[in-house]
Amino acid sequence: MKHEVLVIGRGGQGILLFGRVLGVAAAKYAQLHVSATESYGSETRGTESRVDMIISDKLEEIDYIKVRKATIFLVMYPFNLEKYMDMISDNACIFLNATYIEDFPEKPDWKIHRAPYTEIAEKETGTIRTANIVALGHVVGKTGIVKPEHVIDAIREIVPSKWLELNIKAFNVGLNLP
Amino acid sequence: MALIEKTKVELGKAHPLDKYLRIERIPTLWCPGCGLGVSLAALLKAIDRRVKEGVLDPKKIVFVTGIGCTARTSFYVGFDAAHTLHGRAVAFATGAKLANPKLELIVLGGDGDIAGIGGNHLIHAARRNMDLLVIMNTNFIYAMTGGQLAPTTPPGLYTTTTPQGSREKPMNVIKLLAAFEVNYVARGSSIYPQLLEQYYYKALGMRGFRFIEVVSTCPEVFGRHIGYRDPVTLYDELKKRVKVKTKPSIEESSLDWDRGIIIGEYIVNDYPGYIELIMGGKK
Amino acid sequence: MKRVYTHGNRAIAEAALVAGLKFYAGYPITPTSDIMEYLAEKLPEYGGVMMQFEDELASINAIVGASWAGAKAMTATSGPGFSLMAEGLGLAVITETPIVIAYVMRAGPSTGVPTKSTQADIYQARFVSHGDYIIPVLAPWSVQEAFDLTIKAFNIAEYLRTPVILLSDATLAHLWESAVFRDRGEVEIIDRKKPKVPPEKYKPYEPEEDGIAPMAVFGEGYKVLVESLTHDERGFYIQDTMVQRRMVQRIVGKIIKNIDRVFEYETHYMDNARHAIVSYGTSARSSLAVVRDLREKGIDIGMVRLKTIWPIDEGSLRKTLSGVEKIFVVENNMGKLVWDIQRIMHDKEVIPVSIIDLDLPSPNEILEVINEWL
Repeated sequence: MKHEVLVIGRGGQGILLFGRVLGVAAAKYAQLHVSATESYGSETRGTESRVDMIISDKLEEIDYIKVRKATIFLVMYPFNLEKYMDMISDNACIFLNATYIEDFPEKPDWKIHRAPYTEIAEKETGTIRTANIVALGHVVGKTGIVKPEHVIDAIREIVPSKWLELNIKAFNVGLNLP
Repeated sequence: MALIEKTKVELGKAHPLDKYLRIERIPTLWCPGCGLGVSLAALLKAIDRRVKEGVLDPKKIVFVTGIGCTARTSFYVGFDAAHTLHGRAVAFATGAKLANPKLELIVLGGDGDIAGIGGNHLIHAARRNMDLLVIMNTNFIYAMTGGQLAPTTPPGLYTTTTPQGSREKPMNVIKLLAAFEVNYVARGSSIYPQLLEQYYYKALGMRGFRFIEVVSTCPEVFGRHIGYRDPVTLYDELKKRVKVKTKPSIEESSLDWDRGIIIGEYIVNDYPGYIELIMGGKK
Repeated sequence: MKRVYTHGNRAIAEAALVAGLKFYAGYPITPTSDIMEYLAEKLPEYGGVMMQFEDELASINAIVGASWAGAKAMTATSGPGFSLMAEGLGLAVITETPIVIAYVMRAGPSTGVPTKSTQADIYQARFVSHGDYIIPVLAPWSVQEAFDLTIKAFNIAEYLRTPVILLSDATLAHLWESAVFRDRGEVEIIDRKKPKVPPEKYKPYEPEEDGIAPMAVFGEGYKVLVESLTHDERGFYIQDTMVQRRMVQRIVGKIIKNIDRVFEYETHYMDNARHAIVSYGTSARSSLAVVRDLREKGIDIGMVRLKTIWPIDEGSLRKTLSGVEKIFVVENNMGKLVWDIQRIMHDKEVIPVSIIDLDLPSPNEILEVINEWL
């Protein structure tokens, strides 16, 4: 089982935290092999940020460190989406932040999930800053890439105590999204 | 050759400071009339006094030098010694001191080595009040490489790289170091070895950054450039220019070959050294 | 032993602590500074000292000084800083001083792209200082290996009394991966040999049978001489061809004699392979993906990955590659390692696959070149 996870968002949306939490959950708690890179524009906010993550239960399945064919594709903000279309595998699970994204092409074997993560975050946790974790809940709930309790453990490990309960709540909200 | 060998053996028996030398490497390469031997003898005497007092353990003394005539001191002393790179002795010594604070690091170098190519390390060791004794031998010239311009060369002087006369002003390292909170800054001269010994002795009993400039004679190269190649003549010439003063002010510290060079203790402080600061008061 | 999820720079810092690092000197430089920042916090807890110096000249000389004061010592830098360390590295070579330099390559020349990657500096790592010498250069390809090879770097440095370079790049520096970090007691840690003779008989550069001289340090009463000039076994400067020859041959010879401890490589799909990729560092990650792509298409290709890029055990590399037809050398530069592979495998067709990429060559770009030749 090898997942190639590609996450695209806007600087300041917490894409990197999404990557760290999923990485720790998979690597330390689910005991999977993980390789991830983060990239972002030179300005911290407002430009495109991206996480490429390869997750596998077999070490030898991990070679190239970037996503070649995304099996899980999350778009938090629609920056120039066309350039990613060739990078999505035929039976990918695609997650779209409906707050910002309306149109997205269809393919027969794509499973497309839509939810307004930013709006949900604001409504459920009082801040849009947890939108990334709402999305993470949705991804984990629909793909089973790691178990929810592994993510909770990872959130507890990484997130400062001040924001801990808020993020766990956000994750659970995402987990239960249709 | 046989005579030299014989002399070496007899010297070996004769001199009380031989225990601090690598006798098998004597005679030194220093030219007749060079001030370095006088300065080193004064330093070894000061070390001997501190050893006898129990302040210094000879096993813990490390000489660190860069490149140049002065730097060759590492060859001759009977302590742990490092003859390192041009300009980098202060950095090397800082690493050694931090790795083993029990060591007593003594850095020696010419003015080109310490204040020229190594000037930045000197500044930052001073800024940190690093626990080092740095001894700079000022002979106004690059001697080992054959007589080029030095940071301390008097204005107008002919050197092999300033054939029309130097257009630069000499560097006053005493005043430079006064910009930092260092513990000891003195200027001595090889023509007053007893005074020099006192400065060495005092500095060896202190903490933090300590700096001694030694105004010295280089008849072979500097002397040749200014027309005093005979060691005694150069010695007499320097003696006319060097003035001893107790507690001179920094304003009097300029290195002025024409108007006179004032020697004395310019700065005496007792701030905690860097080592104490990082070790929480334990030296 | 602990399971971690972390990045290449952190792996280097953690491994250094396990290896017994006691003194770190450095100067801030992208993309390396977080090694220094992490050690500033952690090294004091391990009884060591971290010092930020005024420049890289000071940093390298300070670690040589610290090593002679008895501490396992390291610095980390990137291309511009490493250029400044050239002379100090030579001092470590001639004085046979164990030090480790973590060199995280970034795109150059000059200031280049500080945050982005390259493999253009492998010759700078090999030959930056003047004179004859061999400095072992280890090139990890993963976070796990950044940890493992850093420990190996310290072990080689201490065992062989030599500087060792751990050659990473900006991509690996901030690549996050799962890894297992072993602790002291779970991994072999080598410390330098101490003299067995009393001080009056000790010579700091007199080798034992294995080619390596025991190392007394400052403060032990051995009156050691650290000498940057050409020297005999006592450390005495002697201007003599035979002394120069003996010294240089000793410095080079001890590495060659112990090449089994230094040279390490691994093979992938090389059994009966018809063609081979030779690669190292992060480029090998892409190369392995390429090998798998080609194998799926029925092409018998394998990969030889050098973990040690200098020195290369040429005999064993020749043996490994003896059965193949074409050799593709994949690297993120204008073609560097390929020069050596062309020389070593002079009777084979050796094709450079030199792809400049600010992250790492992509499998598709590599495939484009290789497909032209197959």
